[in-house]
Amino acid sequence: MKEGIGNISKRGVESKIWRSRTRCHVAPDRAPTKSESIDQSPWANLPPELLLDIIQRVEESETAWPARAVVVACAAVCRSWREITKEIVKTPEQCGRLTFPISLKQPGPRESPIQCYIRRDRATSTYLLFYGLMPSEGESDKLLLAARKVRRATCTDFTISMVADDFSRASYAHVGKLRSNFFGTKFTIYDSQPPCDSIIPSTTLSSRRFYSKQVSQKLSSSNYSIGTCSYELNVLRTRGPRRMHCVLHSIPVSAIQEGGTAPTPLAFSRSFDEQLSSLTSLKGKEPATNTSSPFLPATPIVSLGSGEPLALKNKAPRWHEQLQCWCLNFKGRVTVASVKNFQLVAAVGPSHNISPEEQEKVILQFGKIGKDIFTMDYRYPLSAFQAFSICLSSFDTKPACE
Amino acid sequence: MASTLKKIILKSCDGKILEVEEAVAVQSQMIKNMIEDDCANEEIPLPDITGEILSMIIEYCKMHVDGENNSNNELIARDADFITRVDLNTLYYLIVAANFLNVKSLLDLTCQRVADIIKGKSPEEIRLTFNIKNDFTPEEEEEIRKKNAWAFDYKD
Repeated sequence: MKEGIGNISKRGVESKIWRSRTRCHVAPDRAPTKSESIDQSPWANLPPELLLDIIQRVEESETAWPARAVVVACAAVCRSWREITKEIVKTPEQCGRLTFPISLKQPGPRESPIQCYIRRDRATSTYLLFYGLMPSEGESDKLLLAARKVRRATCTDFTISMVADDFSRASYAHVGKLRSNFFGTKFTIYDSQPPCDSIIPSTTLSSRRFYSKQVSQKLSSSNYSIGTCSYELNVLRTRGPRRMHCVLHSIPVSAIQEGGTAPTPLAFSRSFDEQLSSLTSLKGKEPATNTSSPFLPATPIVSLGSGEPLALKNKAPRWHEQLQCWCLNFKGRVTVASVKNFQLVAAVGPSHNISPEEQEKVILQFGKIGKDIFTMDYRYPLSAFQAFSICLSSFDTKPACE
Repeated sequence: MASTLKKIILKSCDGKILEVEEAVAVQSQMIKNMIEDDCANEEIPLPDITGEILSMIIEYCKMHVDGENNSNNELIARDADFITRVDLNTLYYLIVAANFLNVKSLLDLTCQRVADIIKGKSPEEIRLTFNIKNDFTPEEEEEIRKKNAWAFDYKD
């Protein structure tokens, strides 16, 4: 047996040498010379498997921001580097890290949440979401998202951007918005980008046509309603914890069932990367009917067809007799009592077939840790953008609820 | 012990002949396989590897064989000393040769060196360092630049 294997590999080696020999005799000396090295670098010809090895090393070692920006830089060198870098970088759900801007719209990790904090600036009505446990001393933290509150005659709008100095809806940095109703009791989350086919496995042919590229380009941005967040009206005006109820139209409840998956956009719409990712996107499973829209008729609502959307509710706090207040266990992440503090868990019934442990899991936690500083910890299946939108709703005053 | 004294003859693509002790040569998994297959009795021609690069690789392998009894820290220090003396162009040919010869530790060392050079650089700096042509269209580049602004945005 050993002999046999030896013979096979021997033949392989011999033929390799034979080929090498001929090549060696024919090919001119390819050794680098000083004059050649100035205008023609060999690096452009680096075999892809070696480039992959190198970029993988960069990606694995630079896990913390701002150093991680170099991974984004690698993807902007040239086409081959971009392709390889995109192949290496995993989604936050898979690796627990944020890398490309699109990771803000991808679901968070399933187990340990991504920990962020929000800084409120009352003077400018802006809310900045940073990566990290809490503001770090003497260092600047990675800005993830920024929002600006604008009060209008009939509602409040929070425009959400990837940068803190540009809230224009026409900007590349624009990612979506949150809009309240007149009473400040119900909020709608709008995504600037339509859901890609890969994230909505079952849409009707007509809705598919509706979301097709030509149409979506004509629509103004921020037009895709992906969820709502409601606060229960407190008619009796008794002081007590708020009741929240969120519905994420873009996430099926099956996402939190065993083996379930959440929609994961691979690229921003209208980007050239989208063409790449659409090739790898999943095909629709089955056609289904569109749910009727209870919202503004001009706004396309992301519908899951047959899939029921994921609903979230706030964990009920318990009344602490000694402290004479409502309490929730935030595991040290929230230190200041505030009406804004909340923990969201899945709102499911027995028919959804979701394990008790999964039902207990806090998907989004938000709370005050200091003057104008709040922590936000989010987990699968929410994205940073969705989590931030829900938290922003907690900032808007709701006199009817308090 | 006799086998360690055996010499392996390597021939670079520019005709340089190097005699290497077997113990050193087997640092290359490729040569090791050839010896096991009894294919290393004649000189082994190495296409695409110049004498200069081949000497460096042998120097590196020798260093590792001689340093077998040294502490790990000592080897790391020697590796670092070896690799920092290498200029960028030579580094490229070292990587390709280490890959061809399958010298695992040298491939790790050289790839890590390139990764370290990349760290902290902007796309333009990476292109300049490695002289890589930007093959994005102006529209694509503009889009990437605008989206990438997020990655480089810091506020206190």
